[in-house]
Amino acid sequence: MQHHGLDNKIFVKLPEGVSINLVPAGVVVRSCAYFYDFIIRALVFGLIAAVLVFLGDAGQGLMLISYFIITWGYYIALEARSGTTPGKKRYNLKIVQDNGLPATLSNIIIRNLLRPADAFPFCYCLGIITMSFNKNYKRIGDWSAGTLVIHQDQKISSLSKNSNITQESIPKIELAIDEQQAIIQFFERSEKLSPSRQEELANILSEVLNAKDQAAADKLKNMANFYLGQKV
Amino acid sequence: MKQNQFVQLNQARWEKFELLAVDPPKDMPAEFSASYRQVCHDLATARTRHYSPALIAKLNNFVSLGQSILYQGEGIQISSLLRLFKNTFFQSLFENRYYLWLSFGAFYGLALLAYLWVKLDPEAVYYFLDVGSVKNIESMYDPSGSSQNQEREAGSTVLMFGVYIYNNIGIAFQMFGGGALLGIGAILPLLFNSFYFGAISAHIVNIGYESTFFSFVVTHGSFELTAITIAGAAGAKIGFSLLMPGQYSRAYAIKTAGSSVLPLIVGAFIMLVIAAVIEAFWSPLNIPNIFKYSAGALCWFYVLLLFYRGTKYGHS
Repeated sequence: MQHHGLDNKIFVKLPEGVSINLVPAGVVVRSCAYFYDFIIRALVFGLIAAVLVFLGDAGQGLMLISYFIITWGYYIALEARSGTTPGKKRYNLKIVQDNGLPATLSNIIIRNLLRPADAFPFCYCLGIITMSFNKNYKRIGDWSAGTLVIHQDQKISSLSKNSNITQESIPKIELAIDEQQAIIQFFERSEKLSPSRQEELANILSEVLNAKDQAAADKLKNMANFYLGQKV
Repeated sequence: MKQNQFVQLNQARWEKFELLAVDPPKDMPAEFSASYRQVCHDLATARTRHYSPALIAKLNNFVSLGQSILYQGEGIQISSLLRLFKNTFFQSLFENRYYLWLSFGAFYGLALLAYLWVKLDPEAVYYFLDVGSVKNIESMYDPSGSSQNQEREAGSTVLMFGVYIYNNIGIAFQMFGGGALLGIGAILPLLFNSFYFGAISAHIVNIGYESTFFSFVVTHGSFELTAITIAGAAGAKIGFSLLMPGQYSRAYAIKTAGSSVLPLIVGAFIMLVIAAVIEAFWSPLNIPNIFKYSAGALCWFYVLLLFYRGTKYGHS
């Protein structure tokens, strides 16, 4: 496994001979997912309790059993089924093994039974500290089970919609592959950037491009279009 | 080859793959794995030819989708839990036998110490328990009008079953998870519970309530106490793998320890469910003690035999 660049991607080598990249999910997004799950669990238990409270002693016994199942079983059952929980799904997170394969039942049981260690002494303090000190954001349970929580489905920007620039003229400057990729990335991100920010970035190259502001940005987009060949 | 051409050439195949991968049908056509390998190949090609990041991201997604379908987990079923238990529990007992013997010895050793202490010095029970809870326990096992031996209503039986499930299995899981804290979270509760158990038994004997007490605990105790020692050993092993990783890195040591003790905690869970059923539905029955003691002896014999053979020979 090696880490690449600012995006903190992990490259995992598959048995098929290619490597795919995974993006581990950090503390904040996982905490959000946890709170979402927590609310769901509280609601489900509240509903069950509201029914069982009328059943006297037997109801109390069933309430304890359902509390036990919801605290320990919620994560194990849902994660073993699909690798995510509703909370994780909302933030597009997924649990995989260290090697990128879907997590097995054993992995899921271990990572969830070790929650008491991560929750020590309160509010998942130890888990958050452990997560902050490694690049893959693994808590203790993840270390022991050999699992990762990753971002699923990074959005594929569909380039055809991206721009109204159609003209593809051959750029006058020869660029290395890395530089080409930088320009393509500028193009792919330009939808999210304000026009003035686009110009500001394009102006860095104004001398080479022989253009300024909007014209420079357009020129860069043209170049990107050429390199891309427009299709994905 | 220009990216354009590359895409044009493969577009149809990718669309077919995407259709299968995004919404996988019940029985996947056999050519799926072949087309998955094709997509892997495409990703490698796109990488080496430095095609656009968007194309690479798209193929990357295809590959991770495809592998999550091809290598998907077994899901959660009671049968898969039972299989895990049946196939690997004894192997795991054997692998972790030193931890298990230590935990077994520590649990009963300390319980015996506490028992002797309170037996010889009856007042000592108040060092660990306040008067209220001692009174509470005494009233539970009072032979005249014992709450344990009276026929319970169905409702309170279910209530007690809930308490046993929630409380006992909760303790076992807490011990397992807390064990990752360098073993402390497993050892402290284990020793605390054993001391408590020893002291209470001695106190009950001191006040002469032993027939109700022992006839009540003997049957489910076999599964319950053994399961607690197993859970403690499993938790402690995870913690000790961090303290003494040996020739491995700590990351690797905790990972192997985790998978090695998993069958133990699954086994402890199953044993505790059995114990809770016995404790709620069999132990409080109002029948002559001879039945309870015979059932208890059978259960103890069975559990200890399994434990011994597991740790001794590695198979049942």
